[in-house]
Amino acid sequence: MAPHESAPRAVLAGGEIRTCLLPARQALDVRAAAQLLGLRADERVLLSERPNLYARSPDTLTGIDCPLPSANGAHVRAVGTVAARAALTEGRILQTSAYFRLPASGPDQRQPWGHYLVRPGLLEPFGKLPHEAVAQGVLDGGRHGELDVGLIAGGLLTRLLRHPLLDQRPPLRSRPTRLRWVALPAEGDQGPSIERFTLAEDELRTVRLRVPEGTPPADVAGLCDDLALHDWLLTTLVRLLDGIRLGSGPPPARVGPPADDRPAVVAALRPAVDHLLHLWMPRARVAKELAPLWEALEERPGFTRQWQALVQRIRDQLTLHAIPSLYREVEPAP
Amino acid sequence: MTEAVFRETAADPRTQAVPLAHLSIELGHLYMEDFEAGPERLRQHFAQVRPWVDAARAAAAARAGGKRPRVSTCFLIDDYFTRFSSPAELVPLLLAEADRAGLVIDYLARESGCAVAGKVPVAEAVAGRIVESPPPGSYGLRPPAAQTGWLANGERSPVARAPQAMKKAAVWQPPTETAARRHSVFLDVELWSDDPDGHRTWSCPFLAAVWQLARLGLLRNEGEPVFVPQPPTDRGFPDDWDELPPLIRLNPRADPFAAYRTCSVLPNRFLPVEHAVRVILDQTEVDRGALRQVAERSAREDVAVPDSVADRVSYVFYAGS
Repeated sequence: MAPHESAPRAVLAGGEIRTCLLPARQALDVRAAAQLLGLRADERVLLSERPNLYARSPDTLTGIDCPLPSANGAHVRAVGTVAARAALTEGRILQTSAYFRLPASGPDQRQPWGHYLVRPGLLEPFGKLPHEAVAQGVLDGGRHGELDVGLIAGGLLTRLLRHPLLDQRPPLRSRPTRLRWVALPAEGDQGPSIERFTLAEDELRTVRLRVPEGTPPADVAGLCDDLALHDWLLTTLVRLLDGIRLGSGPPPARVGPPADDRPAVVAALRPAVDHLLHLWMPRARVAKELAPLWEALEERPGFTRQWQALVQRIRDQLTLHAIPSLYREVEPAP
Repeated sequence: MTEAVFRETAADPRTQAVPLAHLSIELGHLYMEDFEAGPERLRQHFAQVRPWVDAARAAAAARAGGKRPRVSTCFLIDDYFTRFSSPAELVPLLLAEADRAGLVIDYLARESGCAVAGKVPVAEAVAGRIVESPPPGSYGLRPPAAQTGWLANGERSPVARAPQAMKKAAVWQPPTETAARRHSVFLDVELWSDDPDGHRTWSCPFLAAVWQLARLGLLRNEGEPVFVPQPPTDRGFPDDWDELPPLIRLNPRADPFAAYRTCSVLPNRFLPVEHAVRVILDQTEVDRGALRQVAERSAREDVAVPDSVADRVSYVFYAGS
């Protein structure tokens, strides 16, 4: 009679995550984070201080009754709820994450709404679910009127960004990213794997996973939150270094005081040191069973390798600029 | 964080369990007009309620399959919409009239406790748990027809815009009930109203929905139970309603207040209110921890509990006002 058990096993889970820099001059402390993420009066915000500061809102639900996107044009209607939550890491990076799971088949009729509310985050298809086609459809993004979990994650983010605690003065320029994911069952008794991680246009990333049957979708969403967070950090740092002119540029043509590029470069790089460099901590809250998936990304393309290279570049630049130009034999070059 | 070696309590959701009976029977709601009609009204009420209470107990015993079912009774007094009499005057009268009909009131609750219980703003918290039933075509956007402070069991009629000159007025479109069987019974429930000073008054159906959730053991505040029965003090009943706890246990040997199912025996005039209660319960996402505890506990006891919260609630409406 337990509603969670009586539901058929999920054959597809999916979701979308929005990641952005908190638009506030100062990072929020734990108490302010709990205030920002207190989406419900009667439910606690989860707070954790090890291995880094992290706060997560309770889940909220959104009702859905619409066709599912599918790669082969199959028309499958689904009814149920999509769960969404928000998280703040080190008081600095705000993420909203919406996710759902789908069983292999469902009733041919819409049930009373209370039936769906005791199965939070479950969407029930009418009849059989063509799960491979729907998985691809979700990653490709649906047509208008089809399930759009990005709208739910985006809606929650918009709501949070209007919070009076935020002064709308972020310490550096950055762009939000979106990460869309699906998880299909792994073959036989194989462990979890990442089939594809794609950087698409418009700050969109897509991830296609295989997970053993019975893996809680909230755990998969947690892994994808972690991937999205670190992908955002990489993206933001790459863009930051891209956007500034390192070195002193062409030698001065006219006689006069040498052009001093220190303030510009230092001013551009300093916010990264103040606000971003300490945030790299892959797998901090990923379920043990899914943690090995990170290793695949470390192998290729090598997330941490790239991060370390970027951090080293920033530190080198700051070190060079700490030396008075009088003693520099050559100007720092990119 | 799946390993238990390192644990942070603030990072771990905890839900405290409450003891559960099989059935909670509500023996009545008392409003000022009932009280003003004199003790005869109460006497009549309890006399009419009695046979249905026996029937509800018998049904519970049949469901329990031969074992003695745990059944508790409760009574709700309105001290929210109007204040009348005092606990010192009313409670003994109430108990005497119930006793005359052979009924025992195990628990007594105040309706204002369904708005704010002690320091916990219960009604506001429950309002924050409403997840509206999506009409077909809902793909992730909030339904544009959402009306703050109202909750419907379907789609409202489109708002007719003022007809422009030379144009025909828009044809009226009927509202539709989402779960309609061929034809609709559309209901739109007012959940609260705000006065010009910003003071919010919760509607009777909304507080009654909170009351049902309390009786089903599904209310929590940050994981703690909200309605915890208090014993009456030795000094008897106070002169002010505010001095009475939101829920008191009048019968020290009573079975638990909260139960897997509820049954309310009420006069006919409560039918529209309780229809509204069903509409609200059907669209309220209750605390997941509490829901899981009820499911696990009932499975261990081998007691069938309906999945859907609204289906755990039943009524007997007797003729009368």
